[in-house]
Amino acid sequence: MNNTENIIEIKGLKKSYDNGKIKALNGMDLEVKKGEFISIMGPSGSGKSSLLNMIGALDTANEGSIMVAGIDLMKTKKLNKFRSKEIGFVFQMHNLIPNLSVIENVQIPMFETNASSTEMRERALELLKAVDLEDKIDQKPTKLSGGERQRVAIARALVNHPSIILADEPTGSLDSKTGEVILNLLKDLHAKENVTLVMVTHEPYVGNMAERIVNVLDGKCQNIVSSLS
Amino acid sequence: MSFLSLVVKNPFRNKTRSALAIVGIAIGIMVIVALGMVTGGLKNSTQSTLKAGAAEITVVQAGSNSFESGGTINESTAADILNLSGVKDTTGILRASNTSTSIATTSSNSSQGGFAGPGGGLSITGIDSSKLSLLGIDSLNGTVFTNSSTNQVIMGKTVAQDLNKTVGDTIDLYGQNFTIVGTFETGSFLTDAGIMMPLANLQNLTSNQNKVSDVLVKVTDNANVTTVSNEIDNAYPNQLTTTTAADQANRINQGLSFIDTASWAISLLAIFIGAVGVINTMIMSVYERTREIGVLKAVGWTDRRILGMILGESIVLTLIAFVVGTIIAVVGVELILTLSPSVGGIITPSFSYDIFLRAFLVAFLVGVFGGLYPAYRASRLSPTEALRYE
Repeated sequence: MNNTENIIEIKGLKKSYDNGKIKALNGMDLEVKKGEFISIMGPSGSGKSSLLNMIGALDTANEGSIMVAGIDLMKTKKLNKFRSKEIGFVFQMHNLIPNLSVIENVQIPMFETNASSTEMRERALELLKAVDLEDKIDQKPTKLSGGERQRVAIARALVNHPSIILADEPTGSLDSKTGEVILNLLKDLHAKENVTLVMVTHEPYVGNMAERIVNVLDGKCQNIVSSLS
Repeated sequence: MSFLSLVVKNPFRNKTRSALAIVGIAIGIMVIVALGMVTGGLKNSTQSTLKAGAAEITVVQAGSNSFESGGTINESTAADILNLSGVKDTTGILRASNTSTSIATTSSNSSQGGFAGPGGGLSITGIDSSKLSLLGIDSLNGTVFTNSSTNQVIMGKTVAQDLNKTVGDTIDLYGQNFTIVGTFETGSFLTDAGIMMPLANLQNLTSNQNKVSDVLVKVTDNANVTTVSNEIDNAYPNQLTTTTAADQANRINQGLSFIDTASWAISLLAIFIGAVGVINTMIMSVYERTREIGVLKAVGWTDRRILGMILGESIVLTLIAFVVGTIIAVVGVELILTLSPSVGGIITPSFSYDIFLRAFLVAFLVGVFGGLYPAYRASRLSPTEALRYE
């Protein structure tokens, strides 16, 4: 797959909850090229997070089609394997495991690969260096600042060489200065690792850092604009 | 980091809760191991009554019971029984008890070997010194009494420990001083709790001249014990009755199996309470870590791995409880038996690997069953719902 190919292809995707009363996605169409950095923006309840969950195979749609990294997510049964191989998640609340050290947290996704303990440690160290945390590998997350925790979460998201990073409000719990550092780090790693970056945000200055902004309203893509940056 | 080290680490995130769950299971394991060691020891002792060389059949007066007093069988009966086919050796013994060192009462009973006599007095048996092997006494520390002596006894290990006596010491029985010329240990807690003296002397002391309370019968190597027993019963209808050592062992074993059943019931109750504790601990743990489980699913962990992790954590808890419970049981039983010589003399605790294997299996199964439901629940969590969990 080269960089002109679509890594995400979504057509007419529908997802409803509560016996159809809540329509989270209502005929969503979206195409994302490999290596692209897009922001998904929209008001609360517009369907941003539902869309991210569909791309990350955390949830399945009721109708439509969704192809991610060449895999038809409406048909495949091996969603765990898909997530382990192709997707890296960065959550708003970092979601690290408190009793594990920084390096152990980064290694967690590698349990589903065939990597040896040494390989796991080496890869985790490599990424912790990339996020400038090599001096804190043995610390517990509770001893880290919010920005440092999010950097650990970014390292964890990249550890299995995913093709797509899905970031859900990655700066939502950080102050603006730390948020900017995290965004720049995400942008750098996206370029360096040639990984597609899909970021949900409701903050315009964050959204503007992406190459494209996808505005979502009522479960549909309203318009797609190229970012100013 | 390996998956196993993660499973071992996780239960200690909430140390107090895990410690309480461990204590709950450890109590159950402790009960299983401690009761197993004690009943196992009693069973081993019962088996010792069936040891080679000892008499297989005990003959008593028909209608008599263990607490009936007096020598009731004519001493010559022992010689008569020896003439029956299949009988290799016989001897008459007189059992008596000495409730104090100066007051004597006599009794007969059907058990083989001495025991703490009726009323809780010392159990004294009169026997020919050459026939001690029929009571399972094969070796002595010291010497055996001479049949003509009037002031010599030999003493079982348990009673010697209880009275703090050893070879060369004296003991006051029936108002007379007796020298302890030897001590013995047969492994049977009944026999080891008795004192032996020459038959003639005990007959004189208890006014039972030419009378015995029991006749011990050893059968020939190729004879069937039941056949010989029936033969004796038929030869002395309504006069004598027989009990085989195997019957006695079975009776004791029946008692022990009752204790076994009771100990299992107590253990099961303790285990049930412990298992509820484990389920509660693991459910709470899963509940608190819902969001974390959502993350693990998001990073690609399979349902099976999550199930394995929670189940593993539950098993880790119960295996720690196994180690703790076993140590407490072994130390506790040894301590009680050491601090209480009267109990310690009767029971030699069994260290059979069966007991520990049984406790291990119980701990493991409690871990599996206690963790199964919480683990299943964790593995079935929807990742999106788990990640939304506050």
